[in-house]
Amino acid sequence: MNDVEPIRLAQVSAGYGKRVVLDGLDLRLRHGTITAIVGPNGSGKSTVIRAMARLLPARKGVVLLDGLDIRTFGSRGIARLVSVLPQSPSSPPGLTVRELVELGRFPHTGLFGRLGEEGTLAVDSALNLTGLTDFAERPLDELSGGERQRAWIALALAQGAGTLLLDEPTTFLDVRHQFEVLDLVESLCASGGMTVVMVLHDLVHAANYADRVVVVDEGRIVADGAPSAVLTVELMRTVFGVAAKIFTDPESGRMICLPVGPGGS
Amino acid sequence: MTSTRSFVALVLVAGMAAVALFILHLGLGTVWIPPDRVIGALVDGLTESTDRTIVWDLRMPRAILGLLVGCMLGLSGALLQVVMRNRLAEPGLTGVSTGGILLAVLFLAGTWGLPQPGRLLPFIVLLGALAGGILVLFVSSTRGGIDPLRLILTAVIVNAILGSLTAIVMLRSNYALGNILSWLIGSLHGRVWDDVWLALPWAAVGIAAGLLAARAANLLQLDDESGRALGLPLQPARVALFGLAAVLAAGAVSVSGAIAFVGLMAPNAARAIVGADARRVLPLAALIGCVLLLAADLVAQSFSIRPPIPSSAYRVGLPVGAVLAVFGAPLLIFLIRRSTR
Repeated sequence: MNDVEPIRLAQVSAGYGKRVVLDGLDLRLRHGTITAIVGPNGSGKSTVIRAMARLLPARKGVVLLDGLDIRTFGSRGIARLVSVLPQSPSSPPGLTVRELVELGRFPHTGLFGRLGEEGTLAVDSALNLTGLTDFAERPLDELSGGERQRAWIALALAQGAGTLLLDEPTTFLDVRHQFEVLDLVESLCASGGMTVVMVLHDLVHAANYADRVVVVDEGRIVADGAPSAVLTVELMRTVFGVAAKIFTDPESGRMICLPVGPGGS
Repeated sequence: MTSTRSFVALVLVAGMAAVALFILHLGLGTVWIPPDRVIGALVDGLTESTDRTIVWDLRMPRAILGLLVGCMLGLSGALLQVVMRNRLAEPGLTGVSTGGILLAVLFLAGTWGLPQPGRLLPFIVLLGALAGGILVLFVSSTRGGIDPLRLILTAVIVNAILGSLTAIVMLRSNYALGNILSWLIGSLHGRVWDDVWLALPWAAVGIAAGLLAARAANLLQLDDESGRALGLPLQPARVALFGLAAVLAAGAVSVSGAIAFVGLMAPNAARAIVGADARRVLPLAALIGCVLLLAADLVAQSFSIRPPIPSSAYRVGLPVGAVLAVFGAPLLIFLIRRSTR
């Protein structure tokens, strides 16, 4: 199965009402890689993810899941292959971590909703991978922002899908928790063989955690490739409208992208 | 919040409380029958036959209805709180109470001369109740589906309109006024087996389907995007859960009138005890509804009042709806204060 793309967008257009947000997008995901989608506000980044999971159906073009047209799947069928973590998910007050993660089994359970042995295993392993086993019985609203985000990732993992789509997973977190979440995602990809797509605002994160960076602007892909090839001073100027310095920190070996001021094209 | 074992224990305790109240309820009336003789009359064909007649023919319908109506209102409220994403939602917000009562009032005002309009009344209320539910659903639906907040606002407005129409009809007809009062407050007084048969199908279908809806209910409690991403068709699920809540409430209103507070109290109490997981909240809300309604009806039966309206010259039991409002509301306030510290 590794030669079939988990998700492929072919000439996909999508939008809300009269507004066209994606305009003829082509994108093939490679199995077991992390793809970062970056771009200015309103460029259509989140819409790419929504189209990938049919949360927003494509108006034109085709979305393929494991090589099959997404329109031939039922909603639960899609959910068995693709997990989505929305930008600002919410849960009812009092719901515990385990109760939340168990919801991830919805696409797999029958009418009576019994988890079964497989489901219990999947939930336990998701809690374990995200380091939440000790928090399992705690209500979500008593956790820190980072722990909560890990719980939502655990929910997505319990779903047992091979592809994980994350919409700005680090936005509301402080720096330490941002690294914590991104390290988790990296390890899921490295050891779990998951294919990950993340919408990111922080270009430094995109540069250092992604195998591939896709730059979206005005509904089209304007650059696509390895972080070092894509994230250039020129791109920062033309797409984001800022003057930036891009260099590699000699100690950590990490790529740094430092916007120094407005400098529009 | 609670482990599986303590949840099972909780359900057992609530179930036993319901059974105990049920037996007490069968004993209470003009003639007090102690619990041991009630149990005898229930299980043993050899017991003195007056006990059996009183228990089976006179008191059983009311006790069963107390059980069913409590269950239905508790579950209906719990489902509606999920659909409306609001802990103040209660079965009345489906539009079924005001719809049922309006049609009943119109019927009474129009059938002045019928010898016994009272026997037809439950059917009329049921029809009006279902129509009220459909009206709320219809008015609040748009092309984009149902939005929880718009659903609440619509329900409040539809209720206000139907309630005003009812008031207008009642002002013009003294006859309707006297007969409708106990439906407005909610009462189980004088119910017979026919009433049980009217409510039973709605109760059976509604309770079974309502409990099975727990998984969908759990996903509806998340944000829309998360629910859809997990494979739940959001709008059909919302319509279905609203429909279930309306059917449960309509079945209850048709035999007991608009009993307030049970449908608000039971789900909130259940949430305060077991947290947010619908797999626990829904069954517990139904059970708590049973216990509350049976307990309140016991109190209601123990007091009797003479209604200050011309057409009722005899003494009747206090309406159970009034008991619930008086004793239930403080309990609810206590629970909410405790759970939102």
